[in-house]
Amino acid sequence: MPTTLLELREVGKVFGDTVALAPTSLAIEEGSFVAIVGPSGCGKSTMFNVIAGLLRPDGGEVALRGATITASTGHVGYMLQKDLLVPWRTVEDNITMATRLTRRVTDEDRAEARRVARQYGLGEFLRHYPSALSGGMRQRVAFMRTLVTHQELLLLDEPFGALDAQTRLEMQEWLLQVWKDTGRTVLFITHDVDESIFLSDRIVVMSPRPGRVVADLANPLSRPRGIHTLLEPEFIALKAQVLGLLHGGDA
Amino acid sequence: MRRRVLLNVGVPILSLLIVLGVWQLIVVGGHVASYIAPRPREAITSVTSQWSTLWPLILGTIRETIYGYLIGAVLGFALGVVMAKIPVVQRLVYPVILVSQAVPVIALAPVLVIILGFGIVPKIVIVTWIVFFPVTVNVLDGLGHVDPDLKNLARVYGASRWRTFVQIEVPASTTPLFSGLKIGAIYAVTGAIIGELAASEGNSLALYQEHANSNLNTAAVYGTTIVMTLIGIAWFLLVVGLEVWSTPWQRRSVARRRWRRGADGAAR
Repeated sequence: MPTTLLELREVGKVFGDTVALAPTSLAIEEGSFVAIVGPSGCGKSTMFNVIAGLLRPDGGEVALRGATITASTGHVGYMLQKDLLVPWRTVEDNITMATRLTRRVTDEDRAEARRVARQYGLGEFLRHYPSALSGGMRQRVAFMRTLVTHQELLLLDEPFGALDAQTRLEMQEWLLQVWKDTGRTVLFITHDVDESIFLSDRIVVMSPRPGRVVADLANPLSRPRGIHTLLEPEFIALKAQVLGLLHGGDA
Repeated sequence: MRRRVLLNVGVPILSLLIVLGVWQLIVVGGHVASYIAPRPREAITSVTSQWSTLWPLILGTIRETIYGYLIGAVLGFALGVVMAKIPVVQRLVYPVILVSQAVPVIALAPVLVIILGFGIVPKIVIVTWIVFFPVTVNVLDGLGHVDPDLKNLARVYGASRWRTFVQIEVPASTTPLFSGLKIGAIYAVTGAIIGELAASEGNSLALYQEHANSNLNTAAVYGTTIVMTLIGIAWFLLVVGLEVWSTPWQRRSVARRRWRRGADGAAR
């Protein structure tokens, strides 16, 4: 019986007259990779900000390992499409940035940052400033910064949305590798259906006006996944199903 | 590298030489009388020949500039931070500092003399008065434009307001901060000279120039002006140097080796 890591209970948020997120319940299992897919305005970012503790929901509760974390921060790893690396810190110091924001960075923290960077192909760039890196490399640094927070739950909000198709595919495979190595739980927002299927164990489909969950699908595709996955009949079938849900059944 | 040095140092020197050349050309070619405008060489000689008299006066002006500038920079920064963080304070204080800058400093000087006497204090106050404003305005602007997503990221990580301020907001504001500091640096000497004009008893660079003027020693008037200008430029360049030194990421792609205590440095 898998353990529930994160649980949303009837969490909703209204901005003015707009129901950004209708009361929603969702349970995320420990170690799973869950994709949330939906068009803009479907409330997925609102849901993220509620889970991250940046937004206080109008009602409901957010629980991590059974303990409520509603509207409180410091409990999850968090990464956006914008890498948010600070230009005045080197790659190494950007990786330890989360630590620096809460306490003094120790030699162990730095050693860990270097180890992670070496393991995932950025060992040569530890003393570089972010301005010297490509978009894909910057996103990798941002992900390592998220990783070394040692949070069990990683919230990734369209982290590869700004990358070109080629780099994006590389980053997706890279992310799956890191996820396999570290055993973290990932909640991954995207509006790219292919990406959501390629990465996840489970796909939560959302729809706007009001923002709500319209389907929660198990992803039957086997792992490890690669380019071949994109051509499998199960992939195509799942894609047709998700597209149908997103476009009101006319797919 | 050599090319960059040539561009950054050579070209400004060249443009100054052109200015001196044009000056020379106008005075000689236009047959301008030397009591109206001396040749560059005469102006410079008027300074070098009186160096032992001028040097203590120059030191005096530099001292006023430095003290006033440091106080103005610190005060300006603190004011900018407090105003950025507490909106009520911003609304209360902004009109006051605007009015403070609308007051012609030259008209303010006699008032300061009445209150503070003829010593170094009124000069420092005038320099401070001029310097704090561009620093405050730029810091306020810089802190107001820190990427909100970056501040949110700090919040998600559980950062305190203090750490967010020190680790994110201040470094993110270095460019506008230095803009303010550079503007202040250029105006600081002007403030010191205004102070000396209004509040000196015969022993300052500004009064030395006034005496030269009343003695029709035009070369010395020009020479003193050049000296004052050079103090301003030197101070400006010092601030630019501080900016270059403290913001390596704006020019380099790889960080310099850091001198850190403990085993960590050796492990690299």
